Amino acid sequence: MPDTGPDAPASPATGRRVIRWQAAVALPLALVGFLVVIQIRNVWEIKRTLRIPSTQLEELGFVLREQERRRSALEAQIADLRSRLADYEKAAAEGRTAAVLANRQLQDMRALAGLTPLEGPGVVVILNDSTRPPRPGEDPNKTILHYSDIAAVVAELWASGAEVVAVNGERIVSSTGINCVGTTILCNTKRMAPPFVISAIGDPTHLQGYLRRPGGAVDLLSSFDFPVRLTPYPRVEVPPYRGTFRFEHAGASEKE
Amino acid sequence: MWLPVVGLILGVGLGFLFSVEIPLGYVKYTAIAILVAIDTILGGLRAQLEDRFDLGVFLSGFVVNAAFAALLTGIGDLLGLDIYLGAVIAFSIRIFNNAGFIRRDMLAHYLKGGR
Repeated sequence: MPDTGPDAPASPATGRRVIRWQAAVALPLALVGFLVVIQIRNVWEIKRTLRIPSTQLEELGFVLREQERRRSALEAQIADLRSRLADYEKAAAEGRTAAVLANRQLQDMRALAGLTPLEGPGVVVILNDSTRPPRPGEDPNKTILHYSDIAAVVAELWASGAEVVAVNGERIVSSTGINCVGTTILCNTKRMAPPFVISAIGDPTHLQGYLRRPGGAVDLLSSFDFPVRLTPYPRVEVPPYRGTFRFEHAGASEKE
Repeated sequence: MWLPVVGLILGVGLGFLFSVEIPLGYVKYTAIAILVAIDTILGGLRAQLEDRFDLGVFLSGFVVNAAFAALLTGIGDLLGLDIYLGAVIAFSIRIFNNAGFIRRDMLAHYLKGGR
């Protein structure tokens, strides 16, 4: 440089000045080199990894920020929905326990109403028409079973602590009547003919003792030569009521 | 002429040696810094050619210009305005100005030298 400079005869002073100038210019040149190289590498990296020109980065950054804002909003929404879901689940769990309770109550009610098959220790009473031929001039009605005989036995079973009673598989429920239609006995809606099998669940000893007491239904029937068989069983099965309950005229009373 | 070349090579080498990731928000500052540096170099070259180079003026100009440009850019970032564009334009104008003066100086020098 000094050789080509205007002041070619380089004095030590000018030489030092040139050196100083070179050193001074070298500093920003180093900076420029450094920054340019780094910038180029960054741009290449962006192009290589993102495959977009780096001049669109501002725009993309804006879009990204926007999306991040939306995402955080959605995350807040998710958190909200999750907490609501948890609330619902909790409520459902509580509702389920309530439903379980209600269902148990319902099952008890159904059992009481006679809508479920039940079993337990009890007795079976089998009644039949009298085997004795009617005496001459005797009313034949006295040798056949009447609905009142069945009703009497059922009533005595209830009275002696029977919990469940069925006649010929017809469950005795709240609406059951034992009646006679012509020559047949009607229980619920089923017409029956002898033999009558009356199943009852309850304490067999109590039931037997009450039914066999002097002057009881069994005693009375036996004295009229009706074959009565009263047998205790450790396990008696009683079918459910198969009819319907209908209230056409009755409604729930306001009074408790 | 070897010291500036050494400086440039040193800078380039450092740039390749260290991988510095410039965050998106600081690209403006890189641009400004590059412009400031180029402006300083050209200013120094012109001063040298016109034989009125002063190290103090040179270095203080470099530092203060860079600082002021960075400040302007920072204020622009704060205000959400592209104020740094002003610095970019100013430096660009100065660079072209200086380039023009350098061209004239060199032309005059070579014509004088050739004469």
